Amino acid sequence: MMISTKLQNKQIQSLIKIGKKIGVALFWVLLWAAAAWWVDSSLVLPSPLDTLKGIITLSGDFKFFVSIGVTLLRVFGGVTISVALGLVLGLIGGLNKPFYEIMNPFVSIIKSLPVVSVIILINLWIASGVVPLVVTFLICFPVTWTNVVQGVHATDDNLLQMAKVYNVSQQRIIRDIYIPAVKPYAVSALMNAIGLGWKVTVTAEVLANALPSVGMNLYYSKIYLETDLLFSWTFVIVMCSYIIEKVTLYIIERNKRKGADQCQLS
Amino acid sequence: MSIVIKNLKKSYGDQIIFDDFNLVLQEKKITGILGPSGAGKTTLLNLCCGLEKPDSGTIEGINPTSISYIFQEPRLLPWRTIRENLRFVFKGQSIKKSGSHDKEIDEMLRLVGLDTVGDYYPQELSGGMRQRVAIARAFLYPSELLLMDEPFSSLDLTLKNKLMGDFLKIWEQDKRTVVFVSHNQEEIKQLSHEVLTFSDKPVRILKKETIY
Repeated sequence: MMISTKLQNKQIQSLIKIGKKIGVALFWVLLWAAAAWWVDSSLVLPSPLDTLKGIITLSGDFKFFVSIGVTLLRVFGGVTISVALGLVLGLIGGLNKPFYEIMNPFVSIIKSLPVVSVIILINLWIASGVVPLVVTFLICFPVTWTNVVQGVHATDDNLLQMAKVYNVSQQRIIRDIYIPAVKPYAVSALMNAIGLGWKVTVTAEVLANALPSVGMNLYYSKIYLETDLLFSWTFVIVMCSYIIEKVTLYIIERNKRKGADQCQLS
Repeated sequence: MSIVIKNLKKSYGDQIIFDDFNLVLQEKKITGILGPSGAGKTTLLNLCCGLEKPDSGTIEGINPTSISYIFQEPRLLPWRTIRENLRFVFKGQSIKKSGSHDKEIDEMLRLVGLDTVGDYYPQELSGGMRQRVAIARAFLYPSELLLMDEPFSSLDLTLKNKLMGDFLKIWEQDKRTVVFVSHNQEEIKQLSHEVLTFSDKPVRILKKETIY
């Protein structure tokens, strides 16, 4: 009886939470609609309805999905390579001071380079279609590297001392102390890289004229003065980024819960 | 084989902790070391196990791969179960899968009264239970020397007495050379065969008492 009441309360609370979120979204959409009505020019500020119509028009064309698919591949490729390499090299850099000292100036330089300079430079050297992937890697890698190195340095010294006294092998120390300690830092790096990845990939697609791509469609909308389509593409990018972020978070949470369930079961 | 500390020197900056310090620790006996906080008791343990290096002098009779240490805090891996934490110190034993040491681990868990919580995570246990796991780990590891740094200091009196009783019970079955450091006289006298009282820095032995 009590359990079912608790469940009902939980359901009501989550419904209220969803209602609140919809309310906030509606508020902003209404504000946008009011601003568009006041401006009264879809060339300057298209209304939410114009944007929706734009999305419907775009989705009727197969090229729309090809562009999203290819951009998604670039984002995934760039983020995956940067996170994977950032994890491995960050672990090595955190554990090995000479390696850290060799890598750190390189990472610091990349970090301080303006994204546009990187894109233009890389575009001089390699094919346009690959530029966004390489640029995404170059921008996201330092984020992962820095986070992982921080994670290694923040590893509990007490546990490391215990392992040293008990003569535990370095391999086991890395697997059972460093890697679990670095996990929260790596997750935070992954979330940052996903957020950054979208922005950088689309920017790089525009500047490198990469085709097919979401970025170039944005650019064409701008030069043909199709502001409603510009908004539609922007909306698509925001939604893709949001969905990927939520799916990643869901996967991370599910893995965490799996661990917690194992605890409960035992 | 006794542990012989000869002409030990250790300082941190201007602070001299040990200056020409000499000591012999008896084999398979529990040596208790009393002294004021910050006198250098923990430093001595850390020098014995190699966590710190002496400025000069020697410590003889210690096999560096044969040392157990019960720290002030249990120092368990929070992401591993109790059983996995105990497997962690066995070379060649997988942490996740059961192996040749599992029988010993189960026996030790039973001895410290934790046989039902082997699959729990450290954060699911009380402070006293976690410390018992640390004691189990120290005795499971095949060592000749056991170092103990105020392992009972954070526990309440009842739990402390119970744990010290457990400790003596296990030690009786598996006698090792033990160096037990504390600032609590009662604890030291209850467990030790010999009690050394340290002075403040630089360390001198003020008193040497044989209990039993």
